[in-house]
Parts: sequence; C-alpha cells; structure tokens
Amino acid sequence: MTHHLLSLIVGAPAAAALVLFSVPATEKLFVRIVALTGALISLAGSIAVLATYNLSEGGFQLRETYPLVPRLNISLSLAADGWSVALLLLTGLIIVAGVLASWTLENRQKEFFITLLILVAGVFGVFVAQDLFVFFLFYEIAVLPMYLLIGIWGSSHAITEGGPFKYIWKLFNIGDKQYAAMKLTLMLLVGSALILVGILAIYSNGGHTFDLFALAKAHYPHHMQLFAFVLLWVGFGSLAGVFPFHTWSPDGHASAPTAVSMLHAGVLMKLGAFGLIRVGMILLPDGAHFWAPFVGTVAVINIVYGALAAMHQKDFKYVVAYSSVSHMGVVMLGAATLNVLAWNGAVFQMVAHGVMTGLLFALVGHVYERSHTRDTQRMGGFATVMPGVATFFTIAVLSSLGLPGTAGFVAEFLVFLGAWHSAYSWWAVAGVVGAFVTAVYVLTIARRVFWGPPDPVKQFHELRDVRRTEWGALWILGAAIVVLGFWPGLISSHIDKATVANLQQVNGAAAVTLNDSGHATRSTVGWAKQSDAHRVRPSMMGSAPLHPSYALTRPMPAADRCRSAPPIQRAGSRAPDATTATVVMR
Amino acid sequence: MTTPMWALIAVFAPLASALLLAVLAPIRRRGGLAAAVSITFALASLVGAIFAVIGTLHAGGSDWTRSWLASGGALPLSVTFGVHVDGVSAPMLAVVALVATCVQLFSTGYLDDESSASRGRYFAYQSLFLFSMQLLVAAPNLLQLFFGWEIVGATSYLLIGYWYKKPSAARAAVKAFWVTKFADMGLLIGLVALFGFTGSFEWTAQLAPAAATAVTLLFVLAVMGKSAQFPLHVWLPDAMEGPTPVSALLHAATMVAAGVYLVVRAQPLFAQAPFTQHFLAYLGAGTALFAALLALVQTDLKRVLAYSTCSQLGYMLAALGAGSAFAGFFHLTTHAFFKALLFLAAGSVIHAVGSNEMSKMGGLWKKMPLTMLVFIAGAFSLAGFPGFAGFFSKDLIIDSLSEHHLWAPYAALLLGAFLTALYMGRAILLTFFGPHESHEAEHAHEPGWSMKLPLIVLALLSVGAGFFGGDLWHLASLTDYVHGVYHFRFGAVASVLALSGFVVAWVAWGKTREEPALARSLAAFANRAWVDRLYVFGYRAGLLLVSDVAAWIDRYIVDALVNVVGSFFLLGARRARRLQTGNVQDYLFAMSLGAIALAVWSIWR
Amino acid sequence: MTLTTCLILSAALFSVGLYGLLTRRHAVGILLSIEVMANAANLNFVAFAHYGGASWGQAFALFVLGLTVAEVAIGLALVMLLFRSHKDVLVDLANAFKH
Repeated sequence: MTHHLLSLIVGAPAAAALVLFSVPATEKLFVRIVALTGALISLAGSIAVLATYNLSEGGFQLRETYPLVPRLNISLSLAADGWSVALLLLTGLIIVAGVLASWTLENRQKEFFITLLILVAGVFGVFVAQDLFVFFLFYEIAVLPMYLLIGIWGSSHAITEGGPFKYIWKLFNIGDKQYAAMKLTLMLLVGSALILVGILAIYSNGGHTFDLFALAKAHYPHHMQLFAFVLLWVGFGSLAGVFPFHTWSPDGHASAPTAVSMLHAGVLMKLGAFGLIRVGMILLPDGAHFWAPFVGTVAVINIVYGALAAMHQKDFKYVVAYSSVSHMGVVMLGAATLNVLAWNGAVFQMVAHGVMTGLLFALVGHVYERSHTRDTQRMGGFATVMPGVATFFTIAVLSSLGLPGTAGFVAEFLVFLGAWHSAYSWWAVAGVVGAFVTAVYVLTIARRVFWGPPDPVKQFHELRDVRRTEWGALWILGAAIVVLGFWPGLISSHIDKATVANLQQVNGAAAVTLNDSGHATRSTVGWAKQSDAHRVRPSMMGSAPLHPSYALTRPMPAADRCRSAPPIQRAGSRAPDATTATVVMR
Repeated sequence: MTTPMWALIAVFAPLASALLLAVLAPIRRRGGLAAAVSITFALASLVGAIFAVIGTLHAGGSDWTRSWLASGGALPLSVTFGVHVDGVSAPMLAVVALVATCVQLFSTGYLDDESSASRGRYFAYQSLFLFSMQLLVAAPNLLQLFFGWEIVGATSYLLIGYWYKKPSAARAAVKAFWVTKFADMGLLIGLVALFGFTGSFEWTAQLAPAAATAVTLLFVLAVMGKSAQFPLHVWLPDAMEGPTPVSALLHAATMVAAGVYLVVRAQPLFAQAPFTQHFLAYLGAGTALFAALLALVQTDLKRVLAYSTCSQLGYMLAALGAGSAFAGFFHLTTHAFFKALLFLAAGSVIHAVGSNEMSKMGGLWKKMPLTMLVFIAGAFSLAGFPGFAGFFSKDLIIDSLSEHHLWAPYAALLLGAFLTALYMGRAILLTFFGPHESHEAEHAHEPGWSMKLPLIVLALLSVGAGFFGGDLWHLASLTDYVHGVYHFRFGAVASVLALSGFVVAWVAWGKTREEPALARSLAAFANRAWVDRLYVFGYRAGLLLVSDVAAWIDRYIVDALVNVVGSFFLLGARRARRLQTGNVQDYLFAMSLGAIALAVWSIWR
Repeated sequence: MTLTTCLILSAALFSVGLYGLLTRRHAVGILLSIEVMANAANLNFVAFAHYGGASWGQAFALFVLGLTVAEVAIGLALVMLLFRSHKDVLVDLANAFKH
C-alpha cells in the first residue's frame, strides 16, 4: 500500500471527480458523499505519509515512477520529502474543510465538486511531482479550473468608485465575477507562460531531461541562471501574490465562492512560493543568490504594504484577501533569506497561513451568505447571534497577528530569526512592524463585525450560527492552528530535514562556484553557536551577523574574518563537499 | 514527586481546565459547573505551586525541559519548553495561583446575574489566563516567557471585552491589545536580536555592552506596554471596562506585573546594561509620581485603583533600575495581594451600588462593614502604613534607591508615597463615609460568602505578608543573581509621609465631598485625554493616512496598470472585431485579395 | 486558338464568377457564380489536356462536373431551408450565430 500512497493521494480526488460524472445531479446527498470521500481519502493518505515518512533517513521517499513519454524523458515521477509531507497535510485539511463548507451549495453542486476535485488533484500533484514537465502539468491543472469556479459560482459585488480610471473601470465592470475570474486567470497564465520559458531554459541547459534529481545535479551557466530566475520569480510570484503582481488576489478571492477562496488562498498561493523555491532556487542557486536581496526587499514590501492596504478595506473579503498578500510576503521573505531557519519558517508559514486563511475565508463566506453583505461598516454585534463563528474568527485573527500558541507565531518567528541572520537584518524589523500593522487591522475588523450591540437597526434577518457539517470545517482548521502552535514539532522536524538537504544544494553549489573565483574559503562556513564570551559579536546593528550563504557569496571584510576566527567546524555542520559539487562558472 | 513535577501541575492544570471548557460545550454552557471545574483546577495549580515552593526551600531550584522546536543545519536552533523552578519562580507561581483562585471564587458571586453560557466563557478565559501566566512565570527561557506573555495579552483582550456588546468595552479591549502589541514589537525584536547575538534565548547570556543595552532597551519597551508605564499607560485605565475581578487579577495583581517579572528574570542581561537600568529607574519613578497625581483626581473608583497600579509598578521598576531585584520582586508579591484585595473590595462595592462612580457611593461603612474593613486594610498596606505588607516592601525600594544615590527618583518616590496615602484616603472617605449619595448606596448590603471569603484571605495576606519578607529573601537568594542582603530598616520619612497623607486627606475630604480648588485645577491639568489624543492623532494622521495612501496606490497605480494593459487589448479587440462581419462573402473577398497579392508577388519577385 | 486564349477566357470566367460570389446576396445567384468558377477550372483542365497531351485532365473535368452537380443539390437544399425559415433567400438573413 505504501508503495502507491502518493498516487492514491493524487488520484483519489480525480477518481472521485470521475465517479461524480456518472452520478445524476439530483442525488444530492450521494454527490456530496462521493466528494467528501475523495477528499477524506486524500487527507487520510496525507496523514499516512506523515506517519510513515522515515525521519532519520530523510530525503525523498515513497518514490513512484511511471514512464509517460520516454522519447522526451518524461515520466510520471512522484516522491515526497519533508516539505511535501507538510504541504500534503495542509492540502488534505483544506480540501476536506472546503467540501464541508460547500455542503449546502445550491447551484450545480455536482459540477462544482468535479471542478474542485480536479483542481485539488493538481495541487497534490505539484507537491509530489519529481518531473519538471509533470510538475508544470499539475500546476496548470491546479490553476485553470479556477476560471470556471469563480466565473460560474462566484459572487459579484458592484464597486462604484470614481477616480481617474473611471472609464476603464466601467469598461471592465469591476467587481463583477467574470471580471475577477478573467483577471485571475489571465494574470496567472501570463505567469505560467514565463514559467514555461524558464522551464525550457532549464531543460535545454540541464542535459535535456525533466527529472528534477538530474536537473539538480546539472550546472547551469551563470547568466542563464540570472535570466531564468527572474522569469520564474515573476511567474511563480504572480501566483504567490508577490507585489506588484498581486492584484488578481483581492478581486479573485472576493468574488470566489467560499470553498474556492479557501483553497485558493489556502493552498494555491503556496504553489507559487513552493514552485519558486523548488524550481527557481534549488535548481538555479546562482540566480537565487544574485536576486535574493531584491526578492527579499520586495517581500518586505509585500508584508507591510499588504497589511496597510488591508487596513483601508471596508469589504470583508477584501480585508482577508489583502491579509493573504501580506502573509505571503512572509513566505517570500523566508525564501529569499536562504538560510535554514528562514526556509523552515517559510514552509511553516505556508502551512500556517494556509490553515488560517482557509478558516478566515470559511467564516467570511458564512457571514456573507447569511448577511448578504460584505460591507463591514454595515455589520456589528454578530457575536451575539453567531458565537461559534466569532470564536473561530478570533482564533484565526490571533494566528494572523502571530500570537504564540497559534501556528502563525512559529512561522513568523522562524522567518524573523532567519532574516536577522541574513545580510539585511532590517528585514526582520520591517517584518515585525508588518505584524503589528496586521494586529491593528484584524482587531479592528473583529471588533467592527462581531462586537458591539447586536444589529441595532434590524437589517439582518437570516443570521444564524454555523450548523452541522460547517462545524466540521471550522473545527478541523481551528484545531490545526492551535495544535501546530503548541506542537510545531509535529511537522517542523520533517520540514527541517528537507530544508537542510535542499539548502545544502543551494548554498553548496554557490559556495563552490565562488571558491573557484577565489573570494572566500570554506573554513568560514562554520557558524558556531556563539555562546562563548569571546565569540560575542562586538558591534550590533552595524555589521549584521553573516550567514554562511552571505559570507560565501560576497568577499569577506577583514574585520569579519578576524571575528569569526578561530573557525570552529561544528561537529555535524554541513559544509559542502567539494567532490559532489564541481561547479565551473561558464 | 519532584519539585518540577509539582511545578508542572501548577502550570498545566489550568490548561486542562481551559481545554475542558473550550472543547466540551455542555460543561461550558452550564456556568456553575464551569466555575467549579475552573476553580478546582486553579486550586490544583495552587497546591502544585505550594509544593514547588516547599521543594525549592528544601532542595533548591531544578528544571524540567523538553525540546519544543529544533532546526538543524548551519544555524542550529533548539528551543525548549518546560518549567524552571527557583527561588523567584516558585513563590511567584504560588502568588499567581493564590490570587487567581481567590478571584475566580469571587467571580462566581460577582457574575451571578450573567447568563450561564457567558459565565462558562468567562471561566474558560480565566483558566486560559492562569495557564499562560504560569507558563510565563515558570519559563526556563525567554522565548517561553514571551509565549506566555503574548497569551496573557490575548486573554486580557478577551476578558476586557467580556461585555463585548458594550461599545466602550469593545474599544477598550482592542486598545489594550494594540498598545501592548505595539510594545511587544520590542520584545520580539529583542529576542530575535538576542538569538542573533548568542544563538539562544537564555537570560544568562553574555553580550557586548552595546548589544546588551540595545536588547534590554527593546525589552523595556515591552515592559512599558505590559506594565503600563508612561507613555504607554493609556490602555490600563480603559481596561477597567472589564469585570472587576478581571481588573483585580489581570490588571492589578498578575498580568501587568509580568513586565516587572521579566526584568527580574532577565536581571543578568539588565545587569550588563547600566544605561538601561538608569533609564528604568527614572522611568519607574516618573511614572510612579505621574500616575499617583492622576489617581488623585479620578472620580471613578476603579480608575483610582488603576492609576495606583501604574504608580506601584513604577515603584517596582525603579527598584529594579537601581539594581535591587529583590526589592522589586518583594513589592510585586505584596502588591499582588493588597491590590487584588482593593479591587475585589471595590468590586463588592460596585456590585452593591451598581456604579463605578464615587459620587454615587458614600456612607457605605454602615451597610458593608466587612468590605470597608478589608478595603482600609488594603489601602493601609498600599500606602505603606507601618506594619502592613506594603510598608516593608516599599521601604525596601526607597532604601535601595538611596543606596544607589539615585536622588531624583528617590525624591519622586517619597513624594509618591505621600500622594498614595492621600488618594487612598480620599477614596476611602468618598466611598465609605459621608452621606449616602444614591438610592442604591442606601440599600447596599454585604455580598455572599463566595465573595467574602476571598476578601478575608487576601486581607490577612495584605496585612501579614510583609513579615515573611525574610523567608522570601531566603528563597529568592537561592537564585544566584539576586544580590544584596535583606535587612530591614524602619523608613521613618516614608512612614511619616504616608501618615501625613492620610491626615491631609481627612482634612480635605473628611467633612465635605467637594473637591478642593487645588485638586480641581490639578484635574484640569492632568486630564488624561491629552496623551490619548496624541495616540489618536498618531493613528489617524499616521497609520490610517499611510494605509489610505497604500490602498490608493494599489487601486489607482498597481491595479490600474493591470487594467490599462487589459483595456488595451479589450479596446483593440473592439476595433478588430468589426473585421469579423460574419458575412462569408467578406471573408472570401479578403481571401481573393490575398490570393491575388500572392500571385502578384510570385510573378514580380 | 491557342492555350493562352483558352487560359485568358478561363481567367475571365473565374473573375466573373468570383465577382458574382462576392457581391450577390441572392443564394441562387451565389450558387450560379460558384458554378461559373468551377467551369472556369474545368476549362483549364480541358485546355491543358488538349494542348499538353495528358488526357487524364479530361477525366478530371468530368469528375468536377459530377462534383458540381452534387454541390448544387446540397446548395439548393440549403436554399430551400433558408426560404422556409426566412421567406426569402438572401444569404445575410442567416446570421443567427452572430447574434
């Protein structure tokens, strides 16, 4: 069984979708049960992967390979490492919660579930694909159904605003669900096109294979790396909501139906960040190192700017959507920092934010469904009539502002710790400020919507608390937030295992490249735990603590060299092995 | 059972209760049952803490830690959680558990007219609070301390907003969270920096002087927020919107003292930063004086006590700034007792009268003699009346400042001692003496036993706790960095000042309830609103403005760019679609033209 | 009579047919124009067969004749349908897909 665990996870939603084709739409209960079964199988599979993954061994496990197009070296190759384990679990949780949250959908429920399940099969596939071609295929499968899901099941919300672009706004019918669907799909497809170019560049420079392992061993010309990395950053970045390619996100998430927003903000945006790390950074380490300062700075803009923009919003869904933009900035910041702590944090944040934003969208969707408005200024006192929603909203809000005891804290804290160790310590400070701004607006919104006197003008007639299956969705996600907050070790050791291996790939290759050009020597790699008094850094902000990656990618100032002497090689620290990475700068 | 096991019980028993109440709705919705569960587990926590104290007395401190979060590679991170039992944390555990138990018991009576579901919610919050506070106190490293620190902040938010239907309570809750969250940025950055410098979160870390100053100053920012020091004190008076037992527990006895506790805990770090310590001494003394002045002009009984809390926390921080960790810690424990007592007694009065305003009280001594007695006991203790608990600890603080020749803070604290007696005298006179000022005051009566019992327990402690200073010193000195010797000197000046404060209060408010002209002008001057207005201005003109700008940029520049690109194609397509008439003959015409053009081209090529 | 004159005649016929095809709105007129164009092609087949010596060009001409008959049959059937639905046989009436 464990031999086919990954194909089971990917295949179950797809199979459920196929079964649904043959089920008459009038059998509502049966349709729902089939969809839920597909989702539950995937979740169970994900949990099984978490349980069976051999931590002491690490690396990629549960490998499966089926040849697809042998002449082009394309094969359906699946395997899971620690990151996949965590992200599979996230996807499983979100899809089950998503199916439960759309249990009572009235309009074309069967078709909705078919599309949703196909989409989620693609998501699962991306997280375990070990073949670049298949990776891209799954990526597209995950992105494209979104057009139908928003265009058919979405909600329109007229935005009447004047301003300098009034004409264009009228032209597009902004706020309309078709507009949102079109904008989202087009922006993401433009991104995909760039990714495709990047992938082809990697393919043709990496020995004409799509196998990710072989590609990781290959060495790419320096300039090609710099170029291809930008393509991948823009392409994957659009899906990850990177500034300034994020504007599909507020409109798209606001128009999308509940389950789709949950899935999209909860999981799909992570595909972007995951793709950038797995394809962009690991395969193209030179590109990653060269662009890291830029990528990190943009990520900081994401965090602060997204939070500020969210603060201004009056529309409930827009607030949550912009908060996603802000939180994805934390992921990107972690990715750009290129050290173990920050990458652990980035992947943890993918999970934490996924669960949290899934919960938020489930709740916002419920409130919208009941109150028929998204205008927070008209709401108030909802906690009285929907205490369950208010409670879970509070949990999500606390995770959003990074409160310890919730998953959000672990992730943000790891990223900030890592960022402080980069060459740009101010990233950490800016990130903390962003977290404060988040606290300001999420608390405001919670007060405005849920607290205060209940419905003074009696404008809401259908308000009621969540019922039956909807509780399931909330409990799953709410519990995940708290459990991961108190017990991060559940997935963090898996994540850490993969991070260490992957980062060795990135920093090892770059280190040797520069070694050849004679800038730095390997003896500076050791970053020992500086608890001894004599190793205390004499200055603080002025010279930021150097992480090995930065120590190696830039010429070391003499002062730093003195300071880190004597170079104590920590037992078990992972210095790159020169024999495994013989890089030549072409 | 070993000492750490008892401490673990003290920490995790309330968590069990919080989980029970959170997950099992049937228990929670039955308010009385929820209260019973919560109080039982709080008692368990108290028992655990007491045994931890005994164990520490006999065998010294000990630890129990497990790995919480680890990460490998070139940047090793290894965070542990657990309990660190020593002469500081063990007595603190006991104090917190004791006060919490008293307050929870008091709450059963105080909240008897709430619906049972909402009482269940209250006790769930209370259990969560107790857990997180104990987690903070027993922390073996600064990260766990921060962990607890933030969760107590969140429970404070929830408890201030307990009456969430009241807009003022909702606003106060959010304000408290904002201000403390703003301050907590300092602790978070400080921790990140501490890890950056030392690779750990230990408070025993050695730092370079500049780094130590920076890290500790960042910590002080957080302390200012949590312990309500000027100018971040603005949230505390508003926090009185919460139920009075909450004010007693969180906003007087324990949570706000977390800032002081942090400084006590991180004493080895602060000792490396003399500048920070000086800053702390002046900050504390300044706040002590400033808040005492404000307490003098409040008309709301709870606000008098709230400003008094600010002021007393200032005393503690001043002592810590002078380098006397023990004086601050001692005052922290005695303050926990008498301030909780004062708040609960005030709660008893408010419960009877139905208003916070002292102008609606008066003459209650006949109706509520026990409440009056315990209130006066608490007030005497607070003012440092010789023999009462506060007297010992406050004298120690003032002593420690003079020892370190910090004369300006010394003078401020002496003046503060006088003002303390003055405003407490005023509060006693306006509340319990003079004529009945309202119908409710005429018909007030003593509360039930569930409320009387905690009052009596706390009153006994407020009177007698000072005599255990030596024992506390013995315990605390087990921790190696609590320096100095505990010696008791009769603080004659401070005592005389305290006595004269009561006398002046009698002169001013003994016969009349009119505010003297001096107090009125002081009230106008010290109107707390101006600090608030500053923050509101900062929020509106700073944050909101920036956010408006960001949103504008997003809509009209970033998004507009996307839309302009889109509209380019859309409008172009509108033009281009005219070519597609749908008439086959038009297409044929174009085809023939093309064919002719091809033919011509092939001939003339 | 040379091959050139035949080809000129055929080109002229084709142009006339094309003009008719492009300008006629009446369906039967369009069909007639198509016939004219097909016969222009036929003329080419026959002329090349005659002057070039490859006799299978004539066979093609016969084949095209057969084809045009079939085409007219289908075309007239379409014209009938058009008339039934629109009471007229102008081709631009059949624009249901555009709207």
